Amino acid sequence: MKRFLLIRGAELVAFLLLAAVPLAVTNPFALGLLTLLAIYGILLIGLDVTVGYLGQVNLAQAAFLGIGAYTAGLLVMKLGVGLLPSLAGAFLLCLVLGSLLALPALRLEGPQFALATLSFLALTTTVLNEWESLTKGAEGLQLNRPPLFDITLNAPGFYWLCLVLLALVWMGMRNLLSSQWGRAFEALRDSPIATDAMGVGTYRHKVIAFAFGSALGGLAGGLYAFNFQYLQPQSFVYELMVILLLGVVLGGRKSLWGACVGAALIVLLPNLLSNRNLFQIFSVIGLVVALGAGTRAWLKKSVRPFQVIAPVAAMGLLALGSFLVSNTEDWRKAIFALMLFAVVVGLPEGLMGWAAGALARLFRVAAAPLPPATDLDLVLPMQALSGHTLLELRDLKRHFGGVKAVDGVSITVRSGHIHGLIGPNGSGKSTAVNVISGLYAPTAGDILLDGKALPRGSLFSVAGAGIARTFQNLQLFGELTALDNVMVALRDTYRTPWPLVLLGLARKEEKQAQAAALALLQLVGLGDQALSKAKDLTYGAQRFLEIARALARKPRLLILDEPAAGLAHPDAVELVKIIKRVHGRGVTMILIEHHMDVVSELCDTVTVLDGGRIIAEGDPEIVKRDPKVVEAYLGAMAAEAPAVDTGASTAPAAA
Amino acid sequence: MDTSVIIQIVVSGAFMGLVYALVAYGFQLTFATSKTINFGQGELVMLSAFFSLTLTRLGAPYWLMVPGGLLFGALLGLFVERAAVRLALEQKSEGWILLTIILGLLGFSSAENIWGRDDHPFPTPISSDPIHVVGVDITPLEISVAVGVLGIMGLIELFKRRTLLGKAFEAVSADRDAAELMGISSTRTVMLSYALSGAVAALAGILVAPITTVGPTMASALILKAFSVAVVAGLESGFGVVVVGLFLGGLENLASLYLGSGWREAPGLLLLILALALRPNGIFGKASIRKV
Repeated sequence: MKRFLLIRGAELVAFLLLAAVPLAVTNPFALGLLTLLAIYGILLIGLDVTVGYLGQVNLAQAAFLGIGAYTAGLLVMKLGVGLLPSLAGAFLLCLVLGSLLALPALRLEGPQFALATLSFLALTTTVLNEWESLTKGAEGLQLNRPPLFDITLNAPGFYWLCLVLLALVWMGMRNLLSSQWGRAFEALRDSPIATDAMGVGTYRHKVIAFAFGSALGGLAGGLYAFNFQYLQPQSFVYELMVILLLGVVLGGRKSLWGACVGAALIVLLPNLLSNRNLFQIFSVIGLVVALGAGTRAWLKKSVRPFQVIAPVAAMGLLALGSFLVSNTEDWRKAIFALMLFAVVVGLPEGLMGWAAGALARLFRVAAAPLPPATDLDLVLPMQALSGHTLLELRDLKRHFGGVKAVDGVSITVRSGHIHGLIGPNGSGKSTAVNVISGLYAPTAGDILLDGKALPRGSLFSVAGAGIARTFQNLQLFGELTALDNVMVALRDTYRTPWPLVLLGLARKEEKQAQAAALALLQLVGLGDQALSKAKDLTYGAQRFLEIARALARKPRLLILDEPAAGLAHPDAVELVKIIKRVHGRGVTMILIEHHMDVVSELCDTVTVLDGGRIIAEGDPEIVKRDPKVVEAYLGAMAAEAPAVDTGASTAPAAA
Repeated sequence: MDTSVIIQIVVSGAFMGLVYALVAYGFQLTFATSKTINFGQGELVMLSAFFSLTLTRLGAPYWLMVPGGLLFGALLGLFVERAAVRLALEQKSEGWILLTIILGLLGFSSAENIWGRDDHPFPTPISSDPIHVVGVDITPLEISVAVGVLGIMGLIELFKRRTLLGKAFEAVSADRDAAELMGISSTRTVMLSYALSGAVAALAGILVAPITTVGPTMASALILKAFSVAVVAGLESGFGVVVVGLFLGGLENLASLYLGSGWREAPGLLLLILALALRPNGIFGKASIRKV
């Protein structure tokens, strides 16, 4: 509660102070800067969705600013639409265009995404320049600011409008990002595959995030148009885009405060550059900061030498330049570049990221207490052990070119059983479960769940059908807490429609989700580490967390892909206990495992694969003595070592 | 319109397309070894052209200016690798995208202030008087572009296939970790790829400068089209970029003929977005298999 009050209080004070400024200051120049601050704040909050939360370099935001500005301007000038409807028009058009661009672009990662958005920016500039009948091209578009409900807005009035919109965007964004949506955005950055496998559509969430961020760009564009009342295509070009990125990165990614600090910087930069003395002072301060932070990091040996030297060199060059160069305006781009370079390398978390860390150390406010865990019966209802056929594979094949990884496998998994799937490395076990779970589409054959065909080749759809899985190579959401990892995957929990989420009306649901996730963490023995980041957990705990996360799907069938790989003995013992506990809830499982003792202890039935085909099937104790299995699975080592040791020695190689 | 005029326009566009192909080939070189490309490659083209112009003005003959320019480009490539790419590769982050954009901006601003914002003619001993070949006018300058582009691409492909160092290059491209285990330094190979990519960009600058003149913005349109070519063709196929480059060069000249010169960039940009939608790995690229 104290934390809540502190954060909300700081927000409230900041906005009230900003709102009070026009009462005390009448200087039109200062008011103009503040208006721009509010507009760029909205723009950067939108940009931060893709750059911060999705972790993609988005070069299209300047284009959406331009499209929004021209849309609002043309709606007013050509159609005589009012102020708020034209802002809504700018918002909606950018929402639509953003989704259209996102559909192809977000199937891509990293450089291709950056290229697609860069092309969109260039294309937008071309269209704004060349569609002269509509935009008047390079000549520019003159427009008037329409009244707001018959009130003609003067400068303070328009500033208040921008500020109110910024506050609304801020609140909506904060509610969205602290809901399951924000968690999903962060999850898919850490592991898109696991996000899909947990039934949270990666692609859908990406498109929504990008479209929403673009729409905010459009809204900011509309305000931009009414602020300047004159638009030119060359205002919305690549150079502006670089400055916007500078704002987000310097202010601090994944932070509403950061976006607004970045906006303030963007607004102040041109004034800073036009005053040489001021610029000299600031560049020397920058150099001192870089030197100080660099020396500290150097002594703590927490970073690579390059991360110390490069920012110091960049800031040194900037300070040197500020004394040598007579006209700093001419070197504007180089100055942006040097500052941005120093920040990206030396202070990747940005000013607010750094400040948030410092403030957290200063105030030490305890995190909000967790609600008591829900009764497990509600989170993971008991399933009846009926013994009927749950999953059936019929002559399943998956070939990669000439490699027949799975070549005609038929398996029946009975409800309530733990079905072991074993075989030497490369025998096709992992490929088989990857086909079942939808990562790969089968080359041929059928997969039936409860007699109905399972969706093929889509992790998301298979997860929806009731199959959950863990991964041999851990696919946790490293930056999220253990609790959040489980909360991302919770099934049938989030029912509040998104407009209500934006309004902040999903708090109760959020508490319920926390309680449910906590119950699952307690089931795997991680109840006391709920608030640790997943990447900071021990290796064993990370494996258990994957199981808890998969259970959040309330699965009909749980696939465990080598859960004991690389586990130390005490953890392996704990794992067996966990699996037994889960089995006690009536969950059917497919267990891929190398440790023969684990398999013997847990499995009701075992299928042995070799070269993509089944070589034996049945009771684990009998299968273990099958000469074909001994030959294929244990191979040459069988003569030297007992089965149990073989498992232990091959497992690390597989992991 | 007269067919022969249209053919003429398409052919001269295609020669320009070869330059896009060459810059796109430079992207492929670094993408192969490090899965990164230099977003400031256009500035690299422009800076090398300015440097070569300065060499010429200082009295260097053409045969000395060309290798001088290539060396300068290679050094710039090495600088980009060191300053923008290596850290991100070590941290397995995508910070390199932003950092290469930043270095490009720095290069652009430096050129503006060192050489000025005006466009300068680029002297060349190669004639631009057209020769009549099967109904189409072709200038020796255009032929020099074709020879230069295909020549250097051929040389680099030979180098990759025939020399030990080239095979190390291919090995790192195929599997960086496995190559490291075989004693090949992936860092040095990535450096090599950036040096080669820089030299290739410099050659593109030298070849195109007599046609477009030299100025800070000489490569800003060119680089967008090189991106398009690289993405449409896929970031693996050297043959692909030549085909797509020729096609795009011809197409954009047609667009500027029928839609107006302001629209000449549009087909390339649309093509890029479409290609990403329909074939994210490019027309000549292979789909990759997701692994967990």
